[in-house]
Amino acid sequence: MTRPEDALERAREAAGSSPPPGEVARSLEHDLAGESASDALLQEWAVISVEPEVIYSSRRLGAPLTFMKRGILRLMRQYTAEIEAQQTRFNLAVLGRLRELERRRGE
Amino acid sequence: MTRVHQATGAAGRHDAVTGQMLAYDELLRGWGLAGGAHAAVIAPGASREIDKLAQLAPAPDDVVLIHYSGWIAGMGALLELPQRKVVVYHNITPAQYFWTVHPVVAVVCELGRERLPAVVAGARATAGVSAYNAAELRAAGAPDPRVVPPLIDPGRLAYGGVAATADGPLILVVGRLAPHKRPDLVIRAFALYQRLHAPDARLVLAGEPQHLPYRARLEQLVEEVGAKRVQLAGALDDDELALAYSEASVLLSLSEHEGFCIPLLEAFHAELPVIARPCGAMPEVGGDAVLWAEDADIAVVAELLHLAVTDTELRAELVRRGRARAQAFAPGRVAQDVRGLIDAALA
Repeated sequence: MTRPEDALERAREAAGSSPPPGEVARSLEHDLAGESASDALLQEWAVISVEPEVIYSSRRLGAPLTFMKRGILRLMRQYTAEIEAQQTRFNLAVLGRLRELERRRGE
Repeated sequence: MTRVHQATGAAGRHDAVTGQMLAYDELLRGWGLAGGAHAAVIAPGASREIDKLAQLAPAPDDVVLIHYSGWIAGMGALLELPQRKVVVYHNITPAQYFWTVHPVVAVVCELGRERLPAVVAGARATAGVSAYNAAELRAAGAPDPRVVPPLIDPGRLAYGGVAATADGPLILVVGRLAPHKRPDLVIRAFALYQRLHAPDARLVLAGEPQHLPYRARLEQLVEEVGAKRVQLAGALDDDELALAYSEASVLLSLSEHEGFCIPLLEAFHAELPVIARPCGAMPEVGGDAVLWAEDADIAVVAELLHLAVTDTELRAELVRRGRARAQAFAPGRVAQDVRGLIDAALA
């Protein structure tokens, strides 16, 4: 019998002695989890672009509701596109200022 | 007569905090103190016993109990109420997990943590659902936070049927499909376990996706790693979840952040061995009844799964310890803790 206290050590031995062919033992570092906001990521986030596909109904059998919501969104596209554009304009302006400040600090 | 009115940011059908608010409501009714349950945002399918926050109208001598797990627009009015307040803190996932995947949730989390000191400042009594949460309350300025664990009804998930067992080991994961719970790692570890030890193994992830695109990414990952028999089952109702617990061979959690982790207790009640990572409040909940996956290596997790599925004596010992562990969170004890918290606000 393996005691619960000994299980981890046994698992380590087994994992170490028979590495699976073609499989690198991956670390538990972030994969699909959060990323830190690098400069490139900030640039990506600054440009607002929301696709209607993110809209859905969380109800069971909510497909007709999803269809309706996306339809309304498409009808409102002129308005939402304007909001996206104005927010993107602001974000890019702030990002530009931030880069300018960082450049000056580095001089 | 004094009443205790409960409020939270968002209420949902399968949401743990909403479940706690309703469990408190039942206790408060028994004590003749119930003032109703309220939420700023009520999702479709949530209990009809929950009213909108705008309908909250406490009398001057009443108490407002806030279940806090994030900041939702509309909660500011709660803090301005002159009534005595109690805060039960269910923890808030660090926003970093959501900025890329679901910015709306990230904002709720970021603001939630930023405003925790303000929420605490106006409270007459505070409690975390674990010592881990209570420590965060203390750091936010609460002078003497209590620990009041969640109310779990063991009978809720009692399965009356006969579980199927002949279809290969079933690895069960219970919890929202959200980045901090690391379903991506679960899928990778399971794929390895399936390839090395149990080609007929099944993986069921029971939990509502935080965001549909994230679920789609996980489905893509299942394809990429070549895992078979993986089911992203979505949120399950009580009877479906009870069936899953009764059929499962192991409960697996590779979550990186948990303010409590109710599925650990559910697994103990279902007499199911548990493998988890020692993160957040999980060690104080699971104690010595869990196989702790401390290593940053999915190969080790795969071997732990193999052990937990095949070593019958190890399984029996884990079940025995789990049963004892569950007693520490027996509903009667927790109800006393809740009463103590309410009395502290009323004193």
